[in-house]
Amino acid sequence: MKMTGLPLAFCSVLAVLGLQGPARAADPIQIGVIANLTGQDVKTSVQMSRGVELAADDINAAGGIDGRPIKLIVEDSEYRAQEALNAATKLYNVDKVEAAIMFGGSSLMIPVAELARDKGKILINTSSSSPKLGNYPGTLFSILPLDDILSKELGNLIADSGAKTAAVVVPNNAFGLGVAEAAAAAFEAKGGKIVENIAYTEGQPDYRADVQALVKAKPDAIITAGYGDDSRTVLRNVRELGINATWFAAYPSILEVDNKEWMNGRLLGVDNGGYSQGVGKAVQDKYAAKFGDKDILAHVYYGYDAMMVLAEAMKKGGTDAAAIAKAMPEVVKTFDGASGKIVWDDRGQRIDPPIDVLTYKDGKFETTATRN
Amino acid sequence: MLDFAIYSITIIAVWSVLALSLNIQFGMTGLVNFGQILPFALGSYAAGISASLGYPWWIGALAGLIAAPLIALLVIMPAQRLAQDYWALITLGAAEIFRLTVLNAPALTGGADGLVVPRFIDPTLAMSVALAVLAVTFLLAQRISSSPYGRMLRVLREDEILASTLGRSPIRYQASVSVIAWMMAAAAGVTYAHITGYVAPSSFTVTETFIIWTAVILGGPGRNIGVIFGAAIIQLLGVSSRFVAQWIDLPPDLIANLRLASFGLVLVLMFLYRPQGLIPEAKQVHDAERN
Repeated sequence: MKMTGLPLAFCSVLAVLGLQGPARAADPIQIGVIANLTGQDVKTSVQMSRGVELAADDINAAGGIDGRPIKLIVEDSEYRAQEALNAATKLYNVDKVEAAIMFGGSSLMIPVAELARDKGKILINTSSSSPKLGNYPGTLFSILPLDDILSKELGNLIADSGAKTAAVVVPNNAFGLGVAEAAAAAFEAKGGKIVENIAYTEGQPDYRADVQALVKAKPDAIITAGYGDDSRTVLRNVRELGINATWFAAYPSILEVDNKEWMNGRLLGVDNGGYSQGVGKAVQDKYAAKFGDKDILAHVYYGYDAMMVLAEAMKKGGTDAAAIAKAMPEVVKTFDGASGKIVWDDRGQRIDPPIDVLTYKDGKFETTATRN
Repeated sequence: MLDFAIYSITIIAVWSVLALSLNIQFGMTGLVNFGQILPFALGSYAAGISASLGYPWWIGALAGLIAAPLIALLVIMPAQRLAQDYWALITLGAAEIFRLTVLNAPALTGGADGLVVPRFIDPTLAMSVALAVLAVTFLLAQRISSSPYGRMLRVLREDEILASTLGRSPIRYQASVSVIAWMMAAAAGVTYAHITGYVAPSSFTVTETFIIWTAVILGGPGRNIGVIFGAAIIQLLGVSSRFVAQWIDLPPDLIANLRLASFGLVLVLMFLYRPQGLIPEAKQVHDAERN
């Protein structure tokens, strides 16, 4: 016997809130956006969501997809796995979106990818770089490259700077550990030596106990990756210990710098690049005009490109998930977006992105080189 | 819509089991457990590790149900000579120690990346299992509540010394009720792992413990049906506010913050005007001569 009585009663309440009829030719195409608009790392996530919004504005201004405008449904994940699942279940089941664009770490992205795969839907990743995301071909497509590509460049940059020893200071999560592993391997392959490995637990008010080991290790360079208040506290604690090493960060623009004068010229890094030209520059200008904010993080471009690639796939293949999945790898071959050209491996994971080398000077990051 | 309703009922059932498990500890016995997420995590990880090693689901379920009471006894061991206030610190610490341990043991637990667990593909099956676990837990909690054992738990809650003067060993009762409660939470954890298809340390933080607490306080500590009501309200507030937010034409980040603020406001108003909970514990009068 099917247990449908209870859900049907429950439905009658929810239906009042979210009832929809069958889609018509001129009806908007609904696209889901899942982002942690509250909780941790909100700034980056909000910017990704705004990047999607800018792209939807551009698509709608150009006549939409076969005359149908894009309508975004933005859901908050609170940076909690269950809320991310609640959001995704609502988007896929109630709003009937065929594809969702998501910001969040692997602990959120993987359960949502599991759900999307089971339901035959599309998920576009703009933030997580765990290698496990490659396990969802045809379901999950990444605009953000996996950690090992960018982090390998980070390791090479440190070796090229002349540093002989380096310490690793990263958050103890998939992102931090992924960056640490690939950067350290590249650095050691060029003759460098890792003298200390520190993986700190996020959310602490103070990290002096964690970073104290740097005093004894005396590294020439510090490999780091992090975001938000945690990164600010780590930078401050290390400065207070009098450690003078140069910092090398993956995605340095998402770090919160503690002391601008102290970090001037002392913080370098690599980020997915090419934003300062072509489409990237146009997105920068639109973003500043619409949101009055010139402090733009890389995730604006990832969000923008995610929406654009999805729209191109819908134009080419159609709006149902199976057609989108089939068209996605085809459309990226000629796609040149705000984050540059997109090259995917056969799992839909981004490889070979343009990479910028950044240096922190006078309170902002300057691009000193771009590796295409 | 039907699938979403089924999913919401499933999640409500899981959190209701957790609320019941805390209720028999705190609501009935007065044990302040700030680490109730630990047995939930134990159940989830037992399911996850078992799946990653290629064992069938029931091995994971069995492992969770065995591990939870054993760990419960281990955790409360240092609490034997301490006042009940210290239970809060010990359980809070134990839950964090477990979370940090699984975070730092990637070979077994997947570390920060977590573990993928086989999901219930059929949402109706997932809901049926969750409701079955809730039904068993509720009946057990009701049985405890109405039994002489439950009455002694309430005596312990009101006055531990009085319980001792009656020739009862408080720690035995506290240990036994903890074992039962942790098994309930572990069962919820196993179910949850197979519903979400994934376990990771970030799903078992202090925040989750306080969601369980909110459900118990909101529903009415000491009243089993009340805490189920509390858990349902907490989850429904989260779900329904998503639909309301969708109607409002404001920037998404502002809506998200307003949504959480309204959620908090409802709870504050509840605690201000209904501190005893929505369905408070009924006063029980027993006539010693008749009994």
